[in-house]
Amino acid sequence: MSVFSDYKKEIMDAAHNDRIRLALTRGIKSYRGNVNEAMKRFPHTIKMAEEVREIKSNAIADMENLAQKACESFEYNKAKAYIARTVDDALGILDKLVGAGKLIVKGKSMTGEEVELREHLEHKGNEVFETDLGEFIIQKLGSPPMHILSPAIHVPKEDVAELFSKLTGEKLPSDDIARMVAVARKLLREKYFLADVGMSGANVVAADTGTMFLIENEGNIRLATGAPPIHIALIGMEKLVPTLSDAYKVSEVTWRYANYTVPSYVSLVSAPSKTGDIEKTTTFGAHGPKELHVIFLDGGRTELAKDPILRQALYCLRCGGCLYECPVFAVTAGHFGDKYFAGCGMVWAGMVSHKPEKAAALAYTCLTCGRCKVRCPMQIDTPAMCVELRRSLVDKD
Amino acid sequence: MANKGLVPPGLAYLADNINTKHNLLGAGKGAGSKWAKDMQLPRDAETVFFAGCGYQYSSDLESLMSLMRRMDKGGVSDMAMGVAGFQKKLGIDAAGIYRKMMGGRGGEDGGEVLRDAVKVLRKLGLSFGYLGDEEPCCGGILHYMGLEEDFTRHAREVRSQLKSHKVSMIVGIVPSCTYTMRNLVAKVAPDAGLEVKHFSQIVAEKVPSLSLKFPTSAKMTYHDPCQLVRFMGIVEEPRTILRAIQGIEFVEPEWATREWATCCGGGGGFEAVFPEMSEILASNRARELADTGADIIVTQCPGCIMQIKTGLKNIKADKVEVLDLAQVVARAMGV
Repeated sequence: MSVFSDYKKEIMDAAHNDRIRLALTRGIKSYRGNVNEAMKRFPHTIKMAEEVREIKSNAIADMENLAQKACESFEYNKAKAYIARTVDDALGILDKLVGAGKLIVKGKSMTGEEVELREHLEHKGNEVFETDLGEFIIQKLGSPPMHILSPAIHVPKEDVAELFSKLTGEKLPSDDIARMVAVARKLLREKYFLADVGMSGANVVAADTGTMFLIENEGNIRLATGAPPIHIALIGMEKLVPTLSDAYKVSEVTWRYANYTVPSYVSLVSAPSKTGDIEKTTTFGAHGPKELHVIFLDGGRTELAKDPILRQALYCLRCGGCLYECPVFAVTAGHFGDKYFAGCGMVWAGMVSHKPEKAAALAYTCLTCGRCKVRCPMQIDTPAMCVELRRSLVDKD
Repeated sequence: MANKGLVPPGLAYLADNINTKHNLLGAGKGAGSKWAKDMQLPRDAETVFFAGCGYQYSSDLESLMSLMRRMDKGGVSDMAMGVAGFQKKLGIDAAGIYRKMMGGRGGEDGGEVLRDAVKVLRKLGLSFGYLGDEEPCCGGILHYMGLEEDFTRHAREVRSQLKSHKVSMIVGIVPSCTYTMRNLVAKVAPDAGLEVKHFSQIVAEKVPSLSLKFPTSAKMTYHDPCQLVRFMGIVEEPRTILRAIQGIEFVEPEWATREWATCCGGGGGFEAVFPEMSEILASNRARELADTGADIIVTQCPGCIMQIKTGLKNIKADKVEVLDLAQVVARAMGV
C-alpha cells in the first residue's frame, strides 16, 4: 500500500466515525461561542494580532540571532541553554540530562510530539506521565493527539468515562465530567512530587531577558515545572521573539484566539529557583527546580524560514482556531495531519519532517477554501501555502 | 526532487484533459458551446462573456463525479490506477457516458444558467460577445494541482488567444475561472489591457435603477462560493441584488455565512481526490443552508450547485431548490 492509500483509508475511517464527529461538533460549537465572547470583551485583540504578526514575521527572519541571544540570557540567569540543530541532537542533549530509570512528569508540548519525546524517554527506560488531562486521556488510549490545544478533542465524554472506569476499576457515569477530572487529579497528584524531572515546551520566549511563557488552565504545568528538582524545556526556535513585551503580546493574542478571555495561569520562567535569605548567599533549588535547562530546536526551521511563502507556517501561534474552521478537520480531526494538523501540518510534514508522500497526501486534502485564514490571528494564507507546497512537491523545477 | 507521481490519480486525469484536450472533461471541440446556439452572440467583441467549463459541461461533470463516487465507495483500490485505468478494467467508459450525454441535451442545467446570465446582461444594456468553441479553459486547476509550469504555459496560450480576438474585458460567471483569469493568468501572463469582472459585480452596479420582482414569493438563502467571498471579496454584491428583488424573503445561516461560509466540499480538485469525503462535506453544508428554512438556496458556482444538490438529497431535503443567482435575476426580470 502506498502512503497515499494508507492515509486515505485512515481519514475515511475517521470520516465515518460518529464518535469523532459528535465530539468535534460539540467542540466547534463551544469554541465559536467562547471566542466570540472573548473578542467582544477584549476587542483590542484584533489590532494586537496585527502587531504580533509584524513581531513574528521579523522574529522568524532573525531566528538564529534570537536563539543565540536567548541562550546568553538564560545562561546569565544561571540556567543552561542549548541549540539543537536536529531532532537527534535535541534527544542527545536530553539523554545526557535525564539518563534512564527516571520518573518524568510532562506538560503538553507540540514540539515534544514532533520529536516523539514521550516515546523516546520511555524507550530509554524512563517512566513518563502526561499531566495535561487531554494528553493523559490519549496516552492511556494509546492514540495520537488530534488537536494542538485539545489533544483529546475527538474523544466524547462517554469514551472517557469508559477509559477511566477501566483505570480505576470503578464504574464512572458518562455524564459526570467533574468526576472524570477528579480521577485524573488523584492519579497524577503524587507523581509531581515523586518526579525526578519535569518537562515542558513554551508558548513564546523573550530573547532579551531569557523568559519563557507557559500558558495553561489546568495548573499541571505549574506543578510539573515547579515541583521536580529539574525542569527541562524543549522549545522550537520559532517561538522566539526579541523582548519581554513582545512575548506578552504574543501570549495574549494566543490565548484570546484559543478562545479564552484570560487563561487561569501564565507562568514566566527565566531561571532556576533560588534564595538569598540566609546571609544573602544565593542558593539554588529553594522550592522550585534547582536546575533549568532550555533546549532550542532548529530541526529544519531555519531552512523553512527561507521560503517566502511556506515560512508563514512558522508564524503559527498554535492557538488552534483554524482547525475549528476547517470543514475537513470537522469530520476527520487530527487524522488530517502529521505532527501538526491541516495547513501548517502539511508544510511541517514536507519541509521539517521531510516526508514528501505524506505532505502531498495532506496538501491534496486541503480544500483551499481559506476559512482558516479568516480565523487566523496571523492571517496565515493556507490556500497559498497549500498550492506552493503542491508545486514544490510535484512540479518540474 | 519534484515528483509528478505524487499528484493523486483523480486530479492527474483532469490535468491531462486540460493539457491534451483543452477542457476539463477531455470533450471534443465545440461540445461546450452548444448552449449558446440560439443566443446570437457575436464571436468578436471587446467585451466577452466567459462561460467556463463548469457550466458548459455541468451534466457531464455530474456523471463523472457520480462515477468517481461509486468507485470510491466501492473501495476500488482508491483509484490508484487512475480513472482511465479503472474505466478500462471494469469496462465502464466514463468518457463515453458523458460524451453520449453531450450528444443529447448535454449540460442542460448549466446551459440554462448561462443563457439566463446572457439575457440578464443584455437587459442591462451590456454589449458583449462569446468566444464559442474558441473559449479557452482557464486552466486554473493546473495551478491548484501544483503544476505551475503547465499552468504558465497554458496561461500564455490563453492570453494570446484573447489578444488575437482583441478582448479587453471579460465577464466571468464561474468563480474559479473568473479568479483565475483575473488574478492567476494576469500574474504569469500580464496584460494591462484586460479587465476581468464577475457577473454579480455588473448586476449589482445596475440594481438601483431596476425594478425587480420574483414571480412567486420565496424564502431564499445564499451560499458564498469560497473563491468569490474569500478570494475576490465579493460579499455584498449578491446580497444587494437579492435584497432588491421584491417577493424574496432573504435569510442567512446563523454563523457560517459571508467570509465564514463553509465550503461545499468541492474545492481545489478535492472532489476528484476524495469523492466520498466530498459528499460528506456537501451534506454538512446542505444542512447548514437548509436549517435556514429557505425554499431556494442561491449561489453562483456550478461546483457548489452540484455539491449542495447532492447534499440536500443525502439529508432528504430535495424539495429545496438550488439556483444560480443569474437564474433568480432572470426570473425577476422576466427575461
